[in-house]
Amino acid sequence: MKKGEITITITIGIMVLILTTVIFVQFKTIKHTNITLIENMREDELKAEISNFKQKTAEVQNQMQETNLKIKEYEISITTGKEASELLKKELEQQNNILGKNTVKGTGIIVTLTDTRAQKITSKDLRELLNQLKVDGAEAISINGQRIVYDSYVVDLGGTYISVNGERIVSPYEVKAIGNPTYLESGLSKKQYGYIDTKLEEGKDIILERKDEILINAYTGDLNMEYAF
Amino acid sequence: MIIFAIIIGCALGALIGMNVPTISYTYSGYLAIAIVAALDSVFGGITSVLKGNFDFKVFITGFFGNAILSILLTWLGVKLNIDIYLAAIVVFVGRMFTNLAIIRRYYIEKWTKKVEKEETKNENEKKTVG
Repeated sequence: MKKGEITITITIGIMVLILTTVIFVQFKTIKHTNITLIENMREDELKAEISNFKQKTAEVQNQMQETNLKIKEYEISITTGKEASELLKKELEQQNNILGKNTVKGTGIIVTLTDTRAQKITSKDLRELLNQLKVDGAEAISINGQRIVYDSYVVDLGGTYISVNGERIVSPYEVKAIGNPTYLESGLSKKQYGYIDTKLEEGKDIILERKDEILINAYTGDLNMEYAF
Repeated sequence: MIIFAIIIGCALGALIGMNVPTISYTYSGYLAIAIVAALDSVFGGITSVLKGNFDFKVFITGFFGNAILSILLTWLGVKLNIDIYLAAIVVFVGRMFTNLAIIRRYYIEKWTKKVEKEETKNENEKKTVG
């Protein structure tokens, strides 16, 4: 065999080797490649996919806008609802304070009337006191812890004890009143014909105290109405 | 001898190709074009051997040159946004068909000649017998 022939043979062998290797690599690549993966897609497929996604994105964005609008509406209604409910709550609180359903505190006076051997305190004394306190602008009043509300009453029961709101109370009668203490005090302690002077003249034991903070308990009974609408 | 080289090359190539890791799908298009170009060169080589004007240098440069050139053209086509690989496929595959046709005709002619020769031989024999 000639030298040239050997060279040719080896070269052709190498060429065939390369060619078959490359062909098999290609076969393997094509076989193992998942065409649906985005990394393996051709340009036009990718373009189609992109336009598809663009459309989808536009749709989703539209949906999102609609939803955002709805959310905004809801938010608006919620805030208005919140405001309304807060206002209502405030109003309710105030009304409850007025009605006496809440425990309240503030500046005011405490008038203590005590039975003595000579003179017993009557319900009339208490009613007069309540009236005087109301005249002088008392905002909340209680007698021995019984809150005075719009339908409260102070009566003698059988001449032996006094009932307030249907509860029996006994001496000493502690009347608490929240309001401007100066007005309350001066209203009660007018000279000569003032409440305190009058009662003291009658020989009744009455003490007036001015307090910076008085706590008046809530009314414990019900305030339901059956006939009035 | 050359047949042995081809068989061994094929076997080894298949083995290596099976065990080599796959390439990225993006580049497999270039590789496919190179394969087509190389196959075209192979068939062109066979044709030239049959025709008797086989030049080894032309063959080997055609084999590698066409493959590399087709890869470069495909790459250029991708860069220019034009499918040049289609032109390469048309040219190479068209030439492959032409070359295959030439090979087919050559062997058909050879076979026909052989048959005719045998017939004439038979006739001569008959004459001598006669």
